[in-house]
Amino acid sequence: MSNEYAFRKIDIDALDEDALLPSDLVDPDPRGPDGALSDARARSTETRNLVSKGDIAGALTTILTDPPYGDGVDEAKNLTTSAVLLILNSTRANDIPNVIKGLDQEQQAHLMAYLYKNMSALGSGADIPGSVLLTWHEKLTEAAGVGCIVRVMTDRRTL
Amino acid sequence: MSNTLRPYLNAVRATLTAALTLENFSSQVVERHNKPEVEAKTTPEVLLNPLIVSRNESERVLIEPSINSIRISISIKQADEIEKILCHKFTRFMMMRAEGFVILRRTPLPGYDISFLITNFHSETMLKHKLVDFIIQFMEDVDKEISEMKLSLNARARIVAESYLATFT
Amino acid sequence: MILLESHNVIISDVLSDRFQKASRADIQFVDFDSVRFHISTPESKTVVVLSMSIQCWPDLLKYGARQHLEQQYAGYILPEASTEFEYNVSLAIDLERLPATEEERAELVSHLSLLKRNALAAPFLGAFEEQKQLQANYKDAAGAQQMDLQPTESKGELKVINYRDGEAIFVRASHDRVTVIFSTEFKDETDRIYGRVFLQEFVDARKLQSLQSAPQVTYSNREPPLEIRQIPGLKRSEDVGYVTFILSPRHFANPTQALQTISRIQLFRDYLHYHIKCSKAYMHSRMRFRVAEFLKVLNRAKPENAAPAERKTISGRTFRSR
Repeated sequence: MSNEYAFRKIDIDALDEDALLPSDLVDPDPRGPDGALSDARARSTETRNLVSKGDIAGALTTILTDPPYGDGVDEAKNLTTSAVLLILNSTRANDIPNVIKGLDQEQQAHLMAYLYKNMSALGSGADIPGSVLLTWHEKLTEAAGVGCIVRVMTDRRTL
Repeated sequence: MSNTLRPYLNAVRATLTAALTLENFSSQVVERHNKPEVEAKTTPEVLLNPLIVSRNESERVLIEPSINSIRISISIKQADEIEKILCHKFTRFMMMRAEGFVILRRTPLPGYDISFLITNFHSETMLKHKLVDFIIQFMEDVDKEISEMKLSLNARARIVAESYLATFT
Repeated sequence: MILLESHNVIISDVLSDRFQKASRADIQFVDFDSVRFHISTPESKTVVVLSMSIQCWPDLLKYGARQHLEQQYAGYILPEASTEFEYNVSLAIDLERLPATEEERAELVSHLSLLKRNALAAPFLGAFEEQKQLQANYKDAAGAQQMDLQPTESKGELKVINYRDGEAIFVRASHDRVTVIFSTEFKDETDRIYGRVFLQEFVDARKLQSLQSAPQVTYSNREPPLEIRQIPGLKRSEDVGYVTFILSPRHFANPTQALQTISRIQLFRDYLHYHIKCSKAYMHSRMRFRVAEFLKVLNRAKPENAAPAERKTISGRTFRSR
């Protein structure tokens, strides 16, 4: 197509001052990237300690409180995700319902979000056992219901 | 059938049930249009977080919810060349008949084998739990069908080879 | 029907019919591997001319097909000069000079319907003969010179029959066997994969105890086997397959067995492709069924009572909502 018609391809909606951008939908993490990172570091270290002591419930509550979210905090997110994965892997299947019961609604939603996040990473070569995630997902849906999944879908603060 | 199939299907079922909360929503960009927002992607505030449920590297379901439509893309297990071609044939065969399956998309999303698009009009005229049942049954049966087709191909090949070679004395 | 027949049904039907009652004919038809036949009565009702055109005739001529056919159809075959235009070989059957008994007539019909088989048989028969000679020479050579010198030439001439465009049969005799190699082309991705499954089964089936007497089968994809690798112009792509049959002397120990083996082996390609097509058709019917099932499941999602039943008031009037 000649340049004569190039103007037709301009996305005029993007020039609109009132246009809503994805970044307008959510406030960034109030701690800022550095704060989130140091917070995530502290929490994941504490989680690892708790896991080695066998306190799964405690570890899960720690890591699922105020997790890092938004853009620009990838490292903090990775730390937290791997800590969650550690907990998921080191929990026996029979203990799962009890551990879930100890979480409040927000923490359950966060846990669900991490489950989905790990499942989507399954194809990318990471060493994640799919069956563990699916067992957790099943138990969590039993305990927290479909509402928990809806909260994950609607929460713009992506973990 | 492996033991992770049931939790996998349960997870898909729960996620679909959660995502199938659709309502009528006219386009905010083009007046007097009503399009599936998940396909148009012009209004970020009505799109929800896409979710992936996966069982292993090759079997996964991508569910993209939005206010008036959800898109479900399924990746089917393909262990070898034969399963790949059978799966391709089968999904193509289905997608050629997409007008019969009102919720079937004519092309799959890249990286997936088959996609469905359910809009609020579908969920208004059809029973929601039955729609979910359909997707689940599809996932269950398509695996079974492909492995049965593969078996029957092998069985035929064997009979053909044996009866040909048996004629040499 | 699992096995294919090597005779041509149309020839046998038409000729049996004409043998009963002479009438005019002008029928053109085809057989496997783009072989064309023409049955006509050009001069009088009582002389039926059967002509055949076969793509690899130049190759077959080289290997003595003409002589073989002249010997097989002595008294019927027309000289080369009067062969029908556009055809390779013509036979004329005079209906007034048929054999007397019914059995002999039936025999003649079945013999004529094997025209294609017999034309293609010439190179195979040649190879079988060659093998016998080589075997005899080999024994002499081995006996005379002990183990010092390997017999220099233990392989016969490599016969190439280009029976289809881009596909050929290679036949080569050696002192203890006759090797038959098919090159076949899979035009379609699905055919290629199905073909591979089938060929693998041919190789595996040979391992069965009950099929030990069958010829040994190997196949290779892409790379032609060693025996024919030196031939220029062989295709080496993903969709070409090479199938090798190793016929041992017992497969052609006596003439009947030899002919039986030839009938089987020359139909191999058609047999393989026929069954690939059958599988595809079967898969298609399965998919049709499965998709119909899915549609039923989906339609279950539609509520049944879309139109509510007619309601009446207590006095019997029709109640209608507006």
